[in-house]
Amino acid sequence: MRLRMSSTLLAVGLTLSSAAAAEGVRSASMLANTCAGCHSTHGASAGEQMPTIGGMDNGYLYDVLRDYKTGVRGSTIMGRIMRGYTDREIHAIAAYFAAQPWVSTDRVAVATDLHIARDIHARQCETCHEDGGREQEDKSPRLAGQWAGYLEYALEACREIGHRCRPRKMGERVMELSDAEIAALARFYESEK
Amino acid sequence: MTDLGRRAFLKTSALAASAALLTSPARRVHAAPKARVVVVGGGFGGAIAAKYLQMADPEIRVTLVEKEPVFRSCPMSNEVLSGDRSLDALTFDFRGLTRRGIAIMQDEITEIDAEQHFVRGSSGNRYNYDKLILSPGVSFRWDAIEGLTEEVAERFPHAWKAGPQTLKLRQQLEAMDDGGVFIISAPPNPFRCPPGPYERAAQVAHYFKQHKPKSKIIILDAKDAFSKQGLFQAGWKQHYGDMIEWVSGAAGGIVEAIDPKTGALIGTVEDFHGNVVSPIPPQRAGALAVSAGLTDASGWCPVDQKTFASTLHPDIHVIGDSCIAGVMPKSGYSANSQGKVCAAAIAAEIAGQAAPEPSYVNTCYSLITPDHGISVAGVYDLEDGQIVGIEGAGGLSPMDADARTRAIEARFAHDWFRNITADMFG
Ligand SMILES: Cc1cc2nc3c(=O)[nH]c(=O)nc-3n(C[C@H](O)[C@H](O)[C@H](O)COP(=O)(O)OP(=O)(O)OC[C@H]3O[C@@H](n4cnc5c(N)ncnc54)[C@H](O)[C@@H]3O)c2cc1C
Ligand code: HEC
Ligand code: HEC
Repeated sequence: MRLRMSSTLLAVGLTLSSAAAAEGVRSASMLANTCAGCHSTHGASAGEQMPTIGGMDNGYLYDVLRDYKTGVRGSTIMGRIMRGYTDREIHAIAAYFAAQPWVSTDRVAVATDLHIARDIHARQCETCHEDGGREQEDKSPRLAGQWAGYLEYALEACREIGHRCRPRKMGERVMELSDAEIAALARFYESEK
Repeated sequence: MTDLGRRAFLKTSALAASAALLTSPARRVHAAPKARVVVVGGGFGGAIAAKYLQMADPEIRVTLVEKEPVFRSCPMSNEVLSGDRSLDALTFDFRGLTRRGIAIMQDEITEIDAEQHFVRGSSGNRYNYDKLILSPGVSFRWDAIEGLTEEVAERFPHAWKAGPQTLKLRQQLEAMDDGGVFIISAPPNPFRCPPGPYERAAQVAHYFKQHKPKSKIIILDAKDAFSKQGLFQAGWKQHYGDMIEWVSGAAGGIVEAIDPKTGALIGTVEDFHGNVVSPIPPQRAGALAVSAGLTDASGWCPVDQKTFASTLHPDIHVIGDSCIAGVMPKSGYSANSQGKVCAAAIAAEIAGQAAPEPSYVNTCYSLITPDHGISVAGVYDLEDGQIVGIEGAGGLSPMDADARTRAIEARFAHDWFRNITADMFG
């Protein structure tokens, strides 16, 4: 909670200072609004595949967006998009989305998934993704209430690069998951609010 | 302002009296919270401008005037031609915007009085404004291809505005015998949705492959190159072999006339006969923008690209397909991005502040099959008054991507559609 509040203040500060800022500086909302064509208004995705990004942790958002820009993190399109923003702008964009409320999907759980996924989650994932994936911090994202389509895509991408998936401990565990297990985990997190 | 632009402006009777405004400084909008903004057109540009203006300052009274009772999206309408989507799944209502406090009026604006600051609809209603935003899309140049009139186009549908024409084209394709020829003629630049004709060819090929595998598709092009060309041509070949033939302008693809009886297309070198013919007419700004004299010699609306204020009249803003926006293509995503920049500029002006520094994005996804998506993206800023692409950013899907990546991009394409329409109407 404290984390969320401080990122909110940071975002407001940035918005205000850039509105009054010198010529050539693009405000946080001006920059962030361009993302909404794919991630929807305030980053609360209406889709099944595009991730919700509004309400994610400021530090995590910054790292991810920078890693897309540098190519450290693979992507179908985010790399092409993020190369259009300076480091300062990426800080402003991250703070802007961190200050938005997180909106979980309205999907409900499928009984068979719960059975498979709860077990894997408890043994292999909960240590880092606490409280059923609700916890987030600057190094790891919230999973609860994220779209299953996106989670599946992210887990498949992680499994494909195996040991190179970061963090390594997660990569090693995701590598061992079957398609069915990945799908069940994705739908399990999606249904957690 | 070009001489021609000025002449066209003065010709419009409703605006003629306001010639003095041309040289006087922009009319100041009173700083009172009750500024009235009228938005004409509830599509990709207009719906977004209305919503983001209302979000920026809830005290601005925003009225959105749209001639149709619902909005039908062109993006994804090529999937109606393949049979993968219904027209209903392209149809959106304005209830979400009403809930946000935006007044929605179904009316066709037929008159703009720039001096008195009002527009009038065919209903007779008059809407007063302090700022006017126009996002009326495109209109067709019915004088460009001999014999191609609005009436003839009813039989040879362009389907370049989603709705009855889309369904008609679908029905014609369904009625065509296996072994038939479908001809698309693609217009010269600039036009709405540069990858659209080529995506259409792919979507129809997808349908033919399953139901009419001996059929052929010919694209007669006014141009010698087109958007995402390499990706399209590789995708066509991979999935449809030689079914799709593209004829460049130089190779005889320019269509000069149509035989209104048979639909034969008269080219510079030879004539082309198809069983189903879809000539996409050359285009210009929406009819309202043309008749109000907001266009220049190019047929499109010159604007200050930082605010989208018409350079022919400062209290009228033009966004979306109708405007000239530097290197941005005429797409739904561009219109969305421009609507936000325009809304921010107007909100700032009403608050007595300078227009904010703009940022724009465009992305166009195209589907070659339901599991083969490709994309082009651009990130832009303003340099010396012109929208330019930021170097190093944007670009195409890689040529050598594997099937899995193409499938993921196809899923993202569908999700893009969910999200951009949620951004508009949610
Ligand atoms: C086949 C096809 C596929 C496409 N695919 C894509 C895609 O995948 N991605 C993409 O980004 N773009 C795509 N586009 C392009 C996209 O449709 C346009 O660029 C976009 O609609 C432009 O937005 P606009 O606001 O300028 O016009 P529109 O969205 O057309 O909105 C204009 C609105 O104004 C209304 N109107 C016009 N005149 C008046 C009047 N006088 N009074 C009241 N209302 C009026 C119209 O009824 C309409 O609702 C595609 C286009 C086509 C034809
Ligand atoms: C053209 C569509 C598009 C645009 C525009 C876009 N995104 Fe994305 N975004 C995606 C896709 C697709 C992914 C999944 C990664 C990939 O394949 O590119 C994604 C992933 C992300 C993620 C990763 C989420 C996670 O859980 O790790 C973040 C964060 C993000 N985008 C933020 C942004 C921001 C900020 C902007 C605007 C500056 C933006 N996006 C613009 C399509 C888009
Ligand atoms: C050692 C700690 C750790 C463990 C164990 C762990 N994760 Fe993660 N997880 C992370 C971190 C850190 C990230 C953020 C990675 C990044 O920056 O890209 C992450 C990201 C994710 C993401 C989002 C990836 C994206 O691109 O948006 C998913 C989904 C995920 N983890 C699922 C799981 C599952 C399922 C398990 C158990 C099988 C698991 N994690 C185990 C730390 C862990």
